[in-house]
Amino acid sequence: MKKRKRHPLMAIWVAFMVVFMAQLLVYTWCRVQYVQTGYEITEATEEQQRLMELHRKLQVEEARLRSPERIMRIARQRGLVMPDSKQVVVIP
Amino acid sequence: MRTRSKKKSNPLKWIRLRIIMVGTVLGLCFALMVGRAFQLQVLEGKQLQSRAAVQYEKAFYDRSKRGTIYDRNYAELAVSIDVASICAYPGRICSPKQTASALARALDLEQEYLLEKLLSGKRFVWIKRHADPTEVSPVRELEVDGIDFVTESRRFYPLKSLAAQVIGFCGTDGRGLEGLEFYYDSFLKGRESSRTVLRDALGRGFTAKGPSPEDKPGHNLILTIDKNIQYIAEQALSEGAREFWAKSGMALVIVPGTGAILAMAHVPRFNPNAFGQYEPWLWRNRAITDSFEPGSTFKIFLGAAALESGLCEPISEFYCENGAYRIGKNIVHDVRPYAALSFQDILKYSSNIGAAKVGEKVGPAYLYHKLKEFGLGDRLGIDCPGETRGILLPVGGWSEIDAGAICFGQGVSVSALQLAAAVSALANDGLLMKPYLVQGMTDVHGRVIKSFQPTALRQVISSENAWRLTRMMERIMEKGGTGVRAALRGYKIAGKTGTAQKADPGGGGYAADKYISSFVGFVPAQDPEIVVVVVIDEPRKHPYGGVVAAPVFRRIVEKTLRYLKVPPETDGRAGDALRVSCEAPTMG
Repeated sequence: MKKRKRHPLMAIWVAFMVVFMAQLLVYTWCRVQYVQTGYEITEATEEQQRLMELHRKLQVEEARLRSPERIMRIARQRGLVMPDSKQVVVIP
Repeated sequence: MRTRSKKKSNPLKWIRLRIIMVGTVLGLCFALMVGRAFQLQVLEGKQLQSRAAVQYEKAFYDRSKRGTIYDRNYAELAVSIDVASICAYPGRICSPKQTASALARALDLEQEYLLEKLLSGKRFVWIKRHADPTEVSPVRELEVDGIDFVTESRRFYPLKSLAAQVIGFCGTDGRGLEGLEFYYDSFLKGRESSRTVLRDALGRGFTAKGPSPEDKPGHNLILTIDKNIQYIAEQALSEGAREFWAKSGMALVIVPGTGAILAMAHVPRFNPNAFGQYEPWLWRNRAITDSFEPGSTFKIFLGAAALESGLCEPISEFYCENGAYRIGKNIVHDVRPYAALSFQDILKYSSNIGAAKVGEKVGPAYLYHKLKEFGLGDRLGIDCPGETRGILLPVGGWSEIDAGAICFGQGVSVSALQLAAAVSALANDGLLMKPYLVQGMTDVHGRVIKSFQPTALRQVISSENAWRLTRMMERIMEKGGTGVRAALRGYKIAGKTGTAQKADPGGGGYAADKYISSFVGFVPAQDPEIVVVVVIDEPRKHPYGGVVAAPVFRRIVEKTLRYLKVPPETDGRAGDALRVSCEAPTMG
């Protein structure tokens, strides 16, 4: 049986094409990952900004709730008064 | 044979020829592609890149957040928060009339006003800036093409009117317009930065190049103001002004040893969140910008000059002319007639004639020199806009009556701040400190960038004379003195009342029924923790400082000392006493 003789250039060509295709796929995968990660970073950044803004608004709300005017008003409504100087004994 | 081999070789040749032809065509195509790629990537690369960037890159210009203003305990007094502003692109709106009608309903605005904006022919118009979330939601639900929402930073003052005149406020564009917001605008404001966002085919952003707006926020200010003491002062002042039907009032609480201002209260107050709804004169920090004739509170500086000159002792006697004393063409009166009074009693009973006589003994030149050393007639250099010098004429320009009237606080004008700083010098062993409102600046992470230390200006009088004058001022709170209503159980107070007629705006002289009532003092007298100045403008019910301003002083001092946990000097125990530990907080 006659042995089929392979051309050496063909093997190189096939190998080249395999490497080329593989590189193309890897490159495409990288690009897809890059874009996907970009979206994720954007989402995470937006979430961070949203949480920071929420934190800031909660701080403002806390400051408003701790306002001396509000605390005094609530205290008065509950019948609380500031002790006068006769009622205060300083414990050293 | 030959014909057969020719037949055999011809197809091979044909195949080769075809291969060569196909190879040549493909090679040419490849060369064409390479050439085109070279043209696009190398020859026209930069130009095409910039054209493409326009499509997928979008630049955003942001101003970073304005810094926060805190009180001395890091309680927020002014903060910036994100709010939505509603805008429109009139060219993209199909039906301006319907849109204006829908927006008018959602935002409670005039339809004609909105229609005018939508038909203005401009590419971009603001519909409502800094809209409330309750206004934004219904507009979003309309889903009108051409209506958009822009996130903007808005200044918010969570404690509303508290210390409003000190802090000031910002305009819609985020720039400081009044108070510390104006003075420290360059430090507070965030720097402008740009960032580039890449967009995909659907216009969604997916990465950002360049700094984030959070990278360059403004610095935070840490004030010396204490929100609780400020509240105490504002409440006491409001009650006093209401009780005596006064036009306005001011109160300052200052630490004499450092010059740190703990409270700077004004009535009437205004809400900086809606500053446009108030008259502009209410925005001003009048304790710094406005001067007034101090009246008898000024006698303590005369007293300081007299003791420092060595010409008077507390027991030196002066004849008080039984209530009427002619100086040049004018006659000076006392509220009650006195024959002879010691120097310390002149202060205790607040005799104008006695003060004029002391002034004559000291001499105008020395008095003027000492008043200048107290910082009167000059700016103290506080970190606030619009500080007044007050009015203290050069001694060369003093007439005979000026020299007499200045001794009891007429013919001279000072700001409440100058008065507080000068009295602080007496409480601080004669050492004048520069008053200040900002103790430091921090960055967004809370790291201290700059801190402001107390600054000593000069030794005005000796420590011994400051102590002697303090003893004389303590007597004013005792029975028969003008300041008895300022006296507080358990604490020794050194203070002085003041009642000054106001200049008549209609002509020369003084208005008969317009007064400024004041009280200045410090407590505990022997080891002062705070100096308090109370100024009530035009009380209609009663004019005297001892009646109008002294009780306000007492209320401020009583609550502030308790808040600062300053124990009473004398034993104040009672049968129904409530035992309070020194560690227990007394207020929020």
